[in-house]
Amino acid sequence: MSHTKDNLPKEEQVHITSYKDHFSTLIALLLLTVITVVISVFGANLRSLSVFTALLIATVKVIVVAYYFMHLKYDKKIYTWLVLIVAILFVSFAVLTSIEYLNR
Amino acid sequence: MTSTALNLNYLQAKKGIFSWIFSVDHKRIGLLYLYSLITFFLVGATLGVLMRLELLNPGKDLFEAQTYNQIFTMHGVIMIFLFIIPSIPAVFGNFFLPIMLGTDDVSFPRLNLLSWWIYIIGAIMALSTLLFGDGPADTGWTFYAPYSVKTGTNVTMSVLAAFVLGFSSILTGLNFIVTIHRLKTPGMTFLKMPLFAWALYATSWIQLLATPIIGITLLMIVAERVFGVGLFDPSIGGDPILYQHLFWIYSHPAVYIMALPAFGIISELLPTFSNRTIFGYKAIAFSSLAIAFVGYFVWGHHMFTSGMSGPARIIYSIMTFLVAIPTAIKVFNWVATLYKGSIDVQPPLLYALGFIFQFMIGGLSGLVLGALATDIHLHDTYFVVGHFHYVMFGGTGFAFFGALHYWYPKIWGRMYNKLVANIAFFILFIGFNMLYFPMMIAGLMGMPRRYYDYLPEFHLPNMISTFGSWVLAIGLLLMLGNLIAGFRRKREKIARNPWGTGITLEWQTLSPPPVANFDRMPVLPKDGPYDYDHKPEIKE
Repeated sequence: MSHTKDNLPKEEQVHITSYKDHFSTLIALLLLTVITVVISVFGANLRSLSVFTALLIATVKVIVVAYYFMHLKYDKKIYTWLVLIVAILFVSFAVLTSIEYLNR
Repeated sequence: MTSTALNLNYLQAKKGIFSWIFSVDHKRIGLLYLYSLITFFLVGATLGVLMRLELLNPGKDLFEAQTYNQIFTMHGVIMIFLFIIPSIPAVFGNFFLPIMLGTDDVSFPRLNLLSWWIYIIGAIMALSTLLFGDGPADTGWTFYAPYSVKTGTNVTMSVLAAFVLGFSSILTGLNFIVTIHRLKTPGMTFLKMPLFAWALYATSWIQLLATPIIGITLLMIVAERVFGVGLFDPSIGGDPILYQHLFWIYSHPAVYIMALPAFGIISELLPTFSNRTIFGYKAIAFSSLAIAFVGYFVWGHHMFTSGMSGPARIIYSIMTFLVAIPTAIKVFNWVATLYKGSIDVQPPLLYALGFIFQFMIGGLSGLVLGALATDIHLHDTYFVVGHFHYVMFGGTGFAFFGALHYWYPKIWGRMYNKLVANIAFFILFIGFNMLYFPMMIAGLMGMPRRYYDYLPEFHLPNMISTFGSWVLAIGLLLMLGNLIAGFRRKREKIARNPWGTGITLEWQTLSPPPVANFDRMPVLPKDGPYDYDHKPEIKE
């Protein structure tokens, strides 16, 4: 359960993440790591999709960490937008470079 | 504490070298950057003059081809990484951002000091290649692979220096973003923030997001040189075009790290010396963000002749034209600000006007290079050298000098000789255009860049260019000599608002400012930072 220090004025209220949320984040990250390892060991026949799959799982892990552990869920929406813009930028770098490489 | 002690200015507050090099006062850190930057600028400028001397005549004049390669690489590394990238944010951003926001320091003062120390360590590493190892790198400041992977010169130390310098840039950017979000004085919203702060905000995001990419790329060069991992060298399975992608993903946005703060300076100078509000405040503010954002997607225009794919070249060419739109918005708004203004021709305004003239030449020649068809002919010619010196030196360099003349009385509480400053400007302006315009002509004639020697038909533009470098050097020495002489002049009390028409918050405090920046609460103009109709009255 999450709660706030209600005795503070609204702009100074601090959200404190509960142990349950932290522990759930840990479990999720461990599970995703196990899935990554399992796929890399047993899913060798995925060929080029193995890179895509590993990136996909890593992305889910990033979202879990940013959302719960780094408090994005409880922060102002502007911070979610900022993180999204950064993510869009980095995906654009990769996509534009890949398009160039694949059309060479 | 008495009010006299509170008003003790930051220059008098503490004495001794340690009170400077370990100071966490943003104003002192700004000056530490200024003195370091000017030192490196003079080294870089000397190397530039030496290059021009060698190119005065065809054939060997002064040194061997290999030495020439090393000199132009050092010139580029020093001017780009040690001078122009940190220049305006590190000096004037550090000094004036907190004051313009009406606060007493940046969000992380210790991190601010750390970033200066990291800068100094990076600078020592870069300059150490002159003395140790196998001599300075001979690759050009771009460290293009696979040559940078194979050359026997001291590339490893040079790229590690750039890597370290990147951390300084990231920390400064981070500090400014948090400061702008968290420390604005009550009543100052984003849309009541001075345009210099907007420019720094956009710049800081680029510093924060793009610099890590060059850091990783440079480490990949080291990994390739030391371990032979085969990332960029085609003979061991690498892709040299990948290096160019990674390098320019950072280095094109870095062009805006250099240019955006200069735009911010011009947006401050023009209202002050036109004595009227800026034209199109929101357009200028948001165009900074637009330039920062669109600037991320145009890096491929540096690579049109690299052998990259045709569709990609077309995409990058279109994107390049898009970035011209917000840039042109700024220029039109600046000119509109001057229109019907009550213009006071002072040295800083001359630099601002010089900036607009030269930046326009740089910007428009950039469109020639952004167009795929013309770039194929002009790529790697002296046209490119002329173009980027017009943008970087004629633009950012002149804005830097303009800012130095504008805020000089505020920073040091003294005034320089304005007549000498005006003369120095005109010598600089003439020297600059004599030096770089013939380069564009030589480029159009087909003279390739980075060459030690050239054909006799390129002699005339090269000769004029070298003469121009001497005029420019005289102008620079006169300008700096005049500023230094300003310290030695008899101290007179400098008013809080020595230009009379400054409106942003730094003109409400003492000259030089007290340690805590303000001796009384700054008052915001009613309708935004350039509201000349409701300009707060400033009492001495």
